[in-house]
Amino acid sequence: MDLNGKKVIITGGVGALGRSMVDGLVSDGAAVTVFDINPQEFDSLMKAHPAVGCVECDVTNYDQVLAASAGYHQQFGAPDIVINNAGILYSSPLVKISAGGIEKHDVAMWNKVLSADLSSVFYVTVCFVEKMIAARTRGVIVNISSVASSGIPGASAYSAAKAGVNALTAAWAKELGPLGIRVVAVAPGFADTQSTHAATSARALTDTVSKVPLRRLAKPEEIAEGVLAAIKNDFFNGKVFELDGGLVL
Amino acid sequence: MATVLQLPATRIADDLAMKDVDAWDSLKHMELIVSVENTYGIELSFDEIVAMQTVREIKRVLRHRGVTS
Repeated sequence: MDLNGKKVIITGGVGALGRSMVDGLVSDGAAVTVFDINPQEFDSLMKAHPAVGCVECDVTNYDQVLAASAGYHQQFGAPDIVINNAGILYSSPLVKISAGGIEKHDVAMWNKVLSADLSSVFYVTVCFVEKMIAARTRGVIVNISSVASSGIPGASAYSAAKAGVNALTAAWAKELGPLGIRVVAVAPGFADTQSTHAATSARALTDTVSKVPLRRLAKPEEIAEGVLAAIKNDFFNGKVFELDGGLVL
Repeated sequence: MATVLQLPATRIADDLAMKDVDAWDSLKHMELIVSVENTYGIELSFDEIVAMQTVREIKRVLRHRGVTS
């Protein structure tokens, strides 16, 4: 697929990884619209890319996604590409043993992570695929997964959500493939972003880097290049493109 | 249609409807649509896809598209 002129929706487009993807997409000539919960970052994004559209939307809220997708459709029609990139990083063990006893994983955080990292992918995809099918658009859905989908200790909710994303990718690829819509996932390993550093202790991160054969974190632009490659290759479908520097082998 | 729906060819009659065939669910419907498109070299609109829920309607849409065989 040639990205030039293609209409692209990307959720979470103002974060470090999302912004790198936006840069790459714009550079390849795509017409990009960002759905993000952080409107305060829109100005800096639009300063760099004046043609990029920005829509404030909490993708964990189905009603907001429904309204935002309808608004987009009214203005631009069906998108060619949807990138489900929004999400949150969260680390917590199932039980934490401390001097005070045993502390259980917070249930509210479990629900929040599942909502942000899994339900949002469903909400956004179901709303836009409806439009894509109605317009007979042959496009691509890209789900941003994670190396955590194989199960990372201390990240129950995040691991479960990303494993769910991989399952959705396979199920949707089978459902939508006959209609010419590919569904793919890109699973970054640990990337050098503010959110990675915020969600992971320095000791855990040093330990993780020591297990990566390349002995470093991914650069955001390397993840973005993987996303673009997954979009451009018309025979890549239903699979997870793992970009983890060889962490999981 | 018989191949996609895994039905005996003798069951493919004008009155056969999606609602009467267990195997003809929405996923099979998409498969059927793609099969029709590939067979006749056409691209059906969303309205046509939604309308094609009986053999009679499928024939009507195809006739409208100029398919004669």
